[in-house]
Amino acid sequence: MNLILNNAEPFHWAVGGAVIGLITLTLLYVGNRRLGVSTGFENLCAVVVNVPYFQRPAVRESNGWRIPLLAGMLVGGFISALTTGGWEPFWDLGMFDAEIGWGAPGKVVWMFLGGVLIGFGTRLAGGCTSGHGIFGLSNLEVPSMVSTVAFMAAGLVTTNLIYRVIL
Amino acid sequence: MNGSRGIVFYLAIGAVFGYVLSRSGAADYNFIQGMFLLEEFQLYGIIGTAVVVTAPGLWLIKRYGKTASGAPIVIEKKPGHRGNLYGGILFGVGWSITGMCPGPVLVNIGEGKLYAIAALAGVLVGAGAFGSLYPRLQGVFRLPPLAQGTGEG
Repeated sequence: MNLILNNAEPFHWAVGGAVIGLITLTLLYVGNRRLGVSTGFENLCAVVVNVPYFQRPAVRESNGWRIPLLAGMLVGGFISALTTGGWEPFWDLGMFDAEIGWGAPGKVVWMFLGGVLIGFGTRLAGGCTSGHGIFGLSNLEVPSMVSTVAFMAAGLVTTNLIYRVIL
Repeated sequence: MNGSRGIVFYLAIGAVFGYVLSRSGAADYNFIQGMFLLEEFQLYGIIGTAVVVTAPGLWLIKRYGKTASGAPIVIEKKPGHRGNLYGGILFGVGWSITGMCPGPVLVNIGEGKLYAIAALAGVLVGAGAFGSLYPRLQGVFRLPPLAQGTGEG
């Protein structure tokens, strides 16, 4: 299977996983930081949402690294598009188009709702695929094992409900 | 690492991370659904390899105890609470719906996927609501004191 993006051939999983592991270790060894993306959303929220949770020192003091990390991820996606055939805005959504077939307005609503669950869920869980799934599991942390099993199981049930039961 | 050198370093780390997530299928709707349908090994291979590489490296770095610049390594463990389970479930549903976890939301925007902007808007509304409701959610999910939060990462 190729990527939706420019129909590019994906890297082998071992290459992708190894590089992600090396990034995690570099971040720790050079930056003294534990990998985690979803906490960075708190830093973004702190810009406009003036509540105590976002104004606590742990958030304020991490702006200097979490915001550049998140910005870098945008750049990484952009470079990936440029180097696989060119960058242009698009709406293609693979099997969603083939089996659900909603246009742009439907996708916006669908993605927004899913996004709310991601934002609320990852912050309630205290981490996401990177912070719990990669760093936490590698560090043998029990809360991360609980969270990882929970989000993998919930994703499995949801996708199977959508594509095998409803459709 | 702080200051402008730090900004360049974290920006570069983020760019490599984002590039690899994009090129390996971790930011691809079809590969995410394929993972949850147990039809595609790709994402299990990526996450599994990442853990297999990170775990022994992490053990060595902790044993060595110092960063590249000689500062003591500090790893704050994530606190355990009911949110680990219930938040994980909500996130899993969102991951399935969008085909994106938090990193790939950003990666997909960078790639030019317009619907990912709606996903990011949702993420910020969801995280914003969580932070605003923290004092009320604290009792329900036995969350740590506000100053600590649910876990960094």
